[in-house]
Amino acid sequence: MPQRSLAAPPARPPHDGPVTALQLADRILAEAIKDGGAMLAADRIVAGDPTTAVTGIATVAMASIDALRAAVAKRCNLIVSYDPIFWSDDDRLDHLKGNRLFAIKRDFIRAHGLVVLDLHDRWQGGIDTGMARLLGRERYRRSAGHPCYELPHTTLLALATAIRTTLDDRTLRVVGDPALLNGAADVVLCGYSHEWEAVEYAQDMIATGAKKGMLLLGEAKSVDGGIRYCATWLSTIVHEVPVEHVPALEPYWCLPWHGATGQTRERPT
Amino acid sequence: MDPNALLRREVLAGGVAAAAVPTRGVPAPAAGPLTAGAVIERMQQRIGVPWNGWGVDGFKAGAPETVVRGIGTTMMATFDALKSAARQGLNMVITHEPTYWSHPDTLTDLQHDPLYLKKLAFLRAHNMVSFHFHDNWHALKPVDGIDYGTQQLMGWTTYMHADDQRLFTLPPTTLGALAADFQQKTGARTIRVVGDPALPIRTVYESWGYCSAFPGISFLDKADVLVIGEAQDWDLIAYAQDLVALGEKKGLIVLGHVKSEQWGMRYCADWLKRFVSEVPVRFVPIIEPYWNLDHLILEIETEV
Repeated sequence: MPQRSLAAPPARPPHDGPVTALQLADRILAEAIKDGGAMLAADRIVAGDPTTAVTGIATVAMASIDALRAAVAKRCNLIVSYDPIFWSDDDRLDHLKGNRLFAIKRDFIRAHGLVVLDLHDRWQGGIDTGMARLLGRERYRRSAGHPCYELPHTTLLALATAIRTTLDDRTLRVVGDPALLNGAADVVLCGYSHEWEAVEYAQDMIATGAKKGMLLLGEAKSVDGGIRYCATWLSTIVHEVPVEHVPALEPYWCLPWHGATGQTRERPT
Repeated sequence: MDPNALLRREVLAGGVAAAAVPTRGVPAPAAGPLTAGAVIERMQQRIGVPWNGWGVDGFKAGAPETVVRGIGTTMMATFDALKSAARQGLNMVITHEPTYWSHPDTLTDLQHDPLYLKKLAFLRAHNMVSFHFHDNWHALKPVDGIDYGTQQLMGWTTYMHADDQRLFTLPPTTLGALAADFQQKTGARTIRVVGDPALPIRTVYESWGYCSAFPGISFLDKADVLVIGEAQDWDLIAYAQDLVALGEKKGLIVLGHVKSEQWGMRYCADWLKRFVSEVPVRFVPIIEPYWNLDHLILEIETEV
């Protein structure tokens, strides 16, 4: 809720009242571009009243109900979210006419005076940096600005195990030979990819004897380190209010393996 | 020559009304050697609807004139699937998903791609045909060919609702038990689930393969659990996560694209055998592409 008059005299300095979501959004988006973010970005305020006085900022991988509740508990009302809030890339609302969950989420945002800023396109480099820091591999980056890393000797299995532990990623999936050694190998890490495109391209490369691997971490775990880093970065450009990171929850659980009667072609390694 | 254009000319006006379980006998063998084009012509006559020539279906490797020595139906013409078919002497591969890693098999950026060139060389060396059979197999009447195959695998054909072939009422179970049943029957190692494992389940809505948020979000309203092949974490999965966070009694099971749909291509082999008797017709199963840390395995064959 706005806590000061919108009709402030123009001569007064801009920061003598509570800082608003719009002021902070403008600053965040401008500074993210200075830091190398994409110019043609669609990042914007996607929910809430931009004139709201901000009490604190929470950075989240995705503005899920869980994340919004956690932000409220931390007394943060400006939510900086990497992924959409209304379940589509561009937060389209035309499909959601009459949707019950949309109404519940919107009412929650209104009731708690939240404002949600989508910071996606401008934060791609920030995701790389934050994930590299979290996984302790900044020093292995091949060259600045490129998300390519030359790691010490390891195997695909050891890499997957280390990543699961560091990120607490329960549902990580891997394409390739667990015994694959790096050095000759190239491994791609990603969040999600369609299972008829890059996944099968990797599979076909391996089927021709190429030494390749692919790890699919799930979107939440693949970006959360970058959003944690976003909170650190924001605290260097926002001094009026506290900045917090709300860790992402993995949406899924996995079954333990009990064997199958289904048709498979198993070749234990 | 655009092989699809040829197929469109040859389509029978209105198609031939054929049931999913037709009673027609096996036709007499063709006079000359069986060609890939002749196989497709028979498929067009039996699909039960006018053949859709405007989607992605068509020849992606080889020509309609190719003489067929055997037919392999497969979920996706991965290199693994092609090797398996070649080993079995099946030179006509009928594939539900693409050969070249994009839904329309776009070749624009692949002309100098080493993997594309290797795959094409393998197909040519074995005189193989790869025919993309996606849209029309989904259009099979009265029941979508893919849906029917997965129903068969799960033993659900009698649970299907008459007014919605994607909706099922099952004997009472739970979300955890249902996921375990899918694991056992599909062999999928990396099934992922959103929701409470103890959630009681009576009704299931399915969307095998890829499910986008729209209409996927409306599917979640139709049953206790929605079962899909795959979806993007930031749309449909996020919606299910929010539903569960608000205390709604809902679940979402994510099987993997291959493991949710390939049973429909097993059924496709049975369907083809009803009207192709000259050559062997076999289902060529493909592997689940992934492993996870609970189940380490390399199923991909690395020898060419």
